[in-house]
This record gives sequence, C-alpha cells and structure tokens, in this order.
Amino acid sequence: MIIAIVIPVFNEAVVIGQVIKNVRAHGYDTIIVVDDGSSDDSFITAAAHDVLAIRLRVNRGKGAAVKTGIMAANLLDADVVVTFDGDGQHDPADIEPLIRPILEDNIDVVLGSRLLNREEMPFIKMIANSIGNFITWLFYGLLVSDSQSGLRAYSRFAALIIDTKADKYEYDSKVIREIKNNRLNFSEVPVHTLYTEHSSNKPHKQGFTNGIITLGRMVWNLIA
Amino acid sequence: MNVHLYQIIIVGISSVMMYLGIKEFAKREAGQTVLKLIVRLMVWGGMSLFAVYPDFTLVLAKVIGVVDNFNAVVMMGFLMVFLLIFKLLSAIEKIEQNISEITRKEALNEAHDRIEALRLELKDRNQGTEGREG
Repeated sequence: MIIAIVIPVFNEAVVIGQVIKNVRAHGYDTIIVVDDGSSDDSFITAAAHDVLAIRLRVNRGKGAAVKTGIMAANLLDADVVVTFDGDGQHDPADIEPLIRPILEDNIDVVLGSRLLNREEMPFIKMIANSIGNFITWLFYGLLVSDSQSGLRAYSRFAALIIDTKADKYEYDSKVIREIKNNRLNFSEVPVHTLYTEHSSNKPHKQGFTNGIITLGRMVWNLIA
Repeated sequence: MNVHLYQIIIVGISSVMMYLGIKEFAKREAGQTVLKLIVRLMVWGGMSLFAVYPDFTLVLAKVIGVVDNFNAVVMMGFLMVFLLIFKLLSAIEKIEQNISEITRKEALNEAHDRIEALRLELKDRNQGTEGREG
C-alpha cells in the first residue's frame, strides 16, 4: 500500500523542514514536495530531507503545484494520494482519519473540513469559507462544508480521473466540480487547523483579496 | 425589415460562440458545466437579441431607467471592445495554461530518474511486505 503525501510549497523554507519531519513522524515516508517557483530555499531544504522534491521553475499557483504532485504520485503507482499544505497549518494526525474512508469504505475522495471543527476557526474565516462554499455550490452544484480546504485524500482512481486546468486557488473548488461531474463518492472528515504565526502572516495565502480574484476567475471561466 | 451589416456580423460571431459552447458541452470537455453553458448562451444570445431587435434596447432602457436610446455606433464600439477584451483574455488564459503545462512537464522530466528509482524502491518494499504476509 503506497500512501503518497503531496505538499505544495511557495516560499516556505522556514517551516517546510519541520512539516516534513512531522508528517514522517506519523509514519508516512512517501512524501512529494512540489516547489512552486519559490524565491527562497524551499526546494533545497525539502530535498535535504530525503523526499521526492520537484521544482516548478516558474510560480504557477497552488493548483498547478498540487496537480504536479498528484501526477508524480500517479507515476509512483500510489494507492492513496493526500494533499497537505506546506505552511504548517495542517496536523499530520488528521491524515489517518482522512484516508480511512478510502481504505475501508471504497470512497474516492475525502475532504478535510475545517468547518466541522468550528471552535478552532476564527469567526471571519468561518464567514469567508461559508461564502466560498455557497459560491462553489452555485457554480458547480455540490454543497460541501469546506470547499477551500487543502487537506484532501484521493483514491488511485480519483487521482487519475480528476482533471482541471485551474492553476491558482480556484483549483480547490474545481476539484469539487470534478467530483460532481465524474460522480465520485466523497465524504468529509473534520480536521484541525494550526493557525501559526507563519501561516497567518504569509502574503500569498487565500485571503480576502485572493478570494475576490478567485471568484473573478470562477466567473470568467463560466463565460469564456 | 432592413438588415444591417453590423447585425449580420454580431449574429454570426454570437452563433459561432454559442455553437462552440454547445459543442464543448456535448463533448463533455473539461470545464464545461450546465451553468457555464447557460451563462454563455445568455451572454451571446443577448448580444444577438440586441442586434436583431435593436428596439429591445428601448424596453431595456425603460426597465433600467435610462432615458435615451443607445446610439448604434456607440453600441457597436462597446461590442467590438467587449469582443476584443473577451478574445484577448481568452488567449491570455490559454497561454497561461500552456505555460503551466510546459513548466509541469519540464519539472516531471527533470525528476524522472528520481521518480523511477523511488517507484522501484516502493514496489520492492511492497512485494517484500506481501511476501512476509503470505
């Protein structure tokens, strides 16, 4: 059984080493780190931790990095692919409950949901995520409790069949569309979010401005 | 009823765009959804409607509260600018997607040997585990 953990990073040199150590400490040693054209030492740091480090020479966005990692996992014949943010906001302890429905119940996609753990989420983020969920439902017809979560698990079938051209943050919503279009089985499990100083302060996170840009891209994709 | 050249051009372009939308949806190409098809038909169908029945703008003007009718030249100008922006943004998006695809292929090619070595290592490890379990 090969469980591949895909970690997209963009300028996360400060934390990526610790993230890799934490994931490995939970028993997952097939780790794929995709550096999305970082200007810092993210790639070198990741490669030094004995993982499969892949470098996109140009910054293409989180979606492009995740898609690259999933393709690499497919080349490794991974049975389960887990996507895990590289900024340290995900808890590796959540991986086990995340992959269990795939291993035991033949579920295709498991979505980690921060909103099922509401007490941990700041109110403003809860509102923003609810709006994101509503827009995703409006555009793609599938209502989920956390359409923007990066912590997800895919069966081999789902990892092979899901295909989207989205490069940026709208990738997460497009995966929801792919679940509906391909009639994949999915479930949601509550996950923890570690709101560290690093993850809260990074300039390229999915904040208000990026949220508006993501919405604009989704609207544009509807008419273009 | 007099048919003007701009009406033929707009209806022609709109028909092509609507045909492409329906074709892409029918072929179930990536990214094609019912909502996208509906929006596409509304945008381009709306343009055809205004072109074929310019008087419809009077109804619209009354509904939205604009007193004056649209000047045909100004409307044509807006339509042309809209079309240009639409095509330009579509072309930019296509180029962006191509850049991502090239970047991804280059990255995976560069990592090919490491991926293959890891794949064999994982395969050996799996076979060893299955052998011990058997």
